[in-house]
Amino acid sequence: MTTTTEEAVSKEARRARRNYNFLFALTLVGILLLLWVILTISTPNFLTERNIPNLLRQGSMIAILALGETFTIITAGIDLSVGAIAGFTTVVIAMLIQAGVPVWLSIVITLLVGLAIGIFHAFGITKMGLPPFIITLATLTSLRGIGLLMTNGATISITDKGFTDFATLDWLGIPSLFWMVVLVGIPSYVFLNHTRWGRYIFAVGSNPEAARLSGVRVQFILYVAYSLSAVFAAFVGILLATRIGIGNATQANGWELQAIASSVIGGTSLFGAIGSVHGPLIGAFILATINNGANLLNVNSFWQQIITGGLIIIIVFFDQLRRRGR
Amino acid sequence: MTISDVAPGGKAAGTGSSERHDGPILELRNLEKHYGPVLALKPATLAFNYDEIHAIVGENGAGKSTLIKLLTGVIRRTGGEIFWNGTPVGLDTPQEAIDHGINAVHQEVVLCRHLSVAANIFLGDERLKYGLLNKREMRGEAQRLLDDMGFNLPAGAELGSLTIGQQQLVATARAALRGTKFLIFDEPTAYLTRQEAAQLFALIRRLRDQGVTIVYISHRLEEVFELADRVSVLRDGTLVGTRNIKETNENELVSLMINRSIEQIYHKEQVPIGETLLETRHLSGKGFEDISLTVHRGEIVGLYGLIGAGRSEFAMSVFGRNPRTSGEILWKGQPVDIRTERQAIKLGIAMAPESRRDQGLNLNLQIGFNINLPIYDRLTHGITISNREEAQHADQQIRDLSIKTPSRRSLVSSMSGGNQQKVVIGKWLNHGADLFIFDEPTVGVDVGTKAEIYRLLAQLLKNGAGIILISSYLPEVYELADTLHVFRDGRLTGSNGFHQSTHEQVLAEAIGV
Repeated sequence: MTTTTEEAVSKEARRARRNYNFLFALTLVGILLLLWVILTISTPNFLTERNIPNLLRQGSMIAILALGETFTIITAGIDLSVGAIAGFTTVVIAMLIQAGVPVWLSIVITLLVGLAIGIFHAFGITKMGLPPFIITLATLTSLRGIGLLMTNGATISITDKGFTDFATLDWLGIPSLFWMVVLVGIPSYVFLNHTRWGRYIFAVGSNPEAARLSGVRVQFILYVAYSLSAVFAAFVGILLATRIGIGNATQANGWELQAIASSVIGGTSLFGAIGSVHGPLIGAFILATINNGANLLNVNSFWQQIITGGLIIIIVFFDQLRRRGR
Repeated sequence: MTISDVAPGGKAAGTGSSERHDGPILELRNLEKHYGPVLALKPATLAFNYDEIHAIVGENGAGKSTLIKLLTGVIRRTGGEIFWNGTPVGLDTPQEAIDHGINAVHQEVVLCRHLSVAANIFLGDERLKYGLLNKREMRGEAQRLLDDMGFNLPAGAELGSLTIGQQQLVATARAALRGTKFLIFDEPTAYLTRQEAAQLFALIRRLRDQGVTIVYISHRLEEVFELADRVSVLRDGTLVGTRNIKETNENELVSLMINRSIEQIYHKEQVPIGETLLETRHLSGKGFEDISLTVHRGEIVGLYGLIGAGRSEFAMSVFGRNPRTSGEILWKGQPVDIRTERQAIKLGIAMAPESRRDQGLNLNLQIGFNINLPIYDRLTHGITISNREEAQHADQQIRDLSIKTPSRRSLVSSMSGGNQQKVVIGKWLNHGADLFIFDEPTVGVDVGTKAEIYRLLAQLLKNGAGIILISSYLPEVYELADTLHVFRDGRLTGSNGFHQSTHEQVLAEAIGV
């Protein structure tokens, strides 16, 4: 008799659990829509042809950073350097283009620079035994230094019109930068949810020893995760350079924290093994909406920071409640 | 000088513990604990007498830990009464239990590894001088206590630098200092060497002689007969009997514990021995030395020894997890150089490691995920995984092993130990390995699941696999292994055919007497 009640209980629990994952994603979208409705009602400047593309552009770059960041967080690591990489790579691509290197080749080289940084991170973690927090923190400070050294602290203007115009383009009424999120997001979704590498990333984040004893090449998976994060960050650096038209290593300051916050708001667990592709993307646009809305409503920018902090606490708290309930 | 002489600085043992009344020191009447509809302890009536060592035996999951937790106030009872020195007591909180003089020494030492021995002994009860710690007094007193008990231990040493056995002794000394009247040992010898165990037993007898009532929880019957005055048996949450140790024997206790004969549990079938799968020649590495053995198809090779004897280290080396320093491995007659787990898996070796939690499972992931983890490369077509095959494989194992779960999507952490162990084993059954290494496959698993696992072993043998079975539980390897190798201090100290030697001979090879 006890077994039947147990079964009934767990069947219910399972249904609740499955619904919950769906509901959590839905809640995020709900929050986003709610914010949009509130802002549409409270200010005439929100739902305009100028503001919405602007909002999408703002959110897009953090969204891509957050997505890359999520791969490392799922392995129970972290990448603090993504903002610094984005800033640094604006310098790299600016210098390349100004040196007369074709744009396409400049982009490829810049992405390879990102790849090299990611490989360096994984090397420090797997071979030198450094905690991810430390090695990426070290890169965060030193990359900004290297970028400033390369330009002597100056800002490099990019004079290639075709390159700098890219950020202002749109297609089907949607800004090019947002299309870049789609471009990165769909392969990421397939990779994380429908390939064995994606499975292995979760396995490593859950229990690296068990993964190893099951035949997973744990070190290789860490190389993959940190390389993805750094390459995505370099990609954001390129997008940023097209948007502002300059190369400067102090750009994208603090973006790593926004990326982490977006990922966490999107349901990624900092303890590893829990995360998705849609979560950090929605999280990034929630943050972008709050910033955008606060600007339109003339809310003190200090308040924006406080609201963001409060939102992180509330959302992660509810997410914890669910996990404890399991 | 006795321990109680050393102890006066400690907190007085509390209510009524100094006067003895006529009845038992602690009496349970219809004590009961249920979690929702699940009864963890069915109404139990039991009396503990003054000056006795009372053993409690039972299989894993029989309710021993529930009983300890009730007695030490860690969990609250849901029914029945407890009398301490004839007076009804609540025992609702750990502090209340300690105030009465009830203490427990756990299998895993729950002290602070980074503090000194003296600091641990006085933890929570520090001696102060002008509001600051009086370290000198504490160290001196701790040293006197340790010397008096005959332990050769420095009070200033960091606890983490001691062996687990020595830490166990420190934990016991700590309890003794607190004016304990009723001391519970929860499988204290699980990680001890024979010598350390002997030292602990001497201390336990000595405490008994000084008027402390001892409850000794174990599933090792030989210890019970060595130490206890009386023994109570738990089975499936039921107290099935209490015996004077002089009026009972091992067979009676075993049949009380498991309610069936040994033959019924240890399911063994005769399978013809086939070709040689694995041969190691003078294999050495960290923790083991000069190990030569062979495994054939259709054969269970048992590795027996105390914990730390080098069995798991040897197996991990064969599996490519730990490097070997010398010697060679032959796989189906060919020399192989196994450097990584992947290589071993590719050859056809599967490993169900010792620790489910640390090595075997991705606890916070789904059951299906865990089962399929070793074969995701096979489930991949092009670049993506076939969802259909993934579900099919997981469901098949869940069905074949009768893993009790509502769905393959449930998290592994939500399952019982026995079902988790089935996942650890099940993840290799789709893989089609030739050699299966099972390291302590039945630890923390209930009797029913145990029997299922043994039947599974027989099934694997019939399919032509070979098995290495590592166990610290002698009856298990003794009844199942076709060849039983004994490890001691990293070396092979004996090899026995099926039922060729007696338990005592095998034990002697493992302990080295």
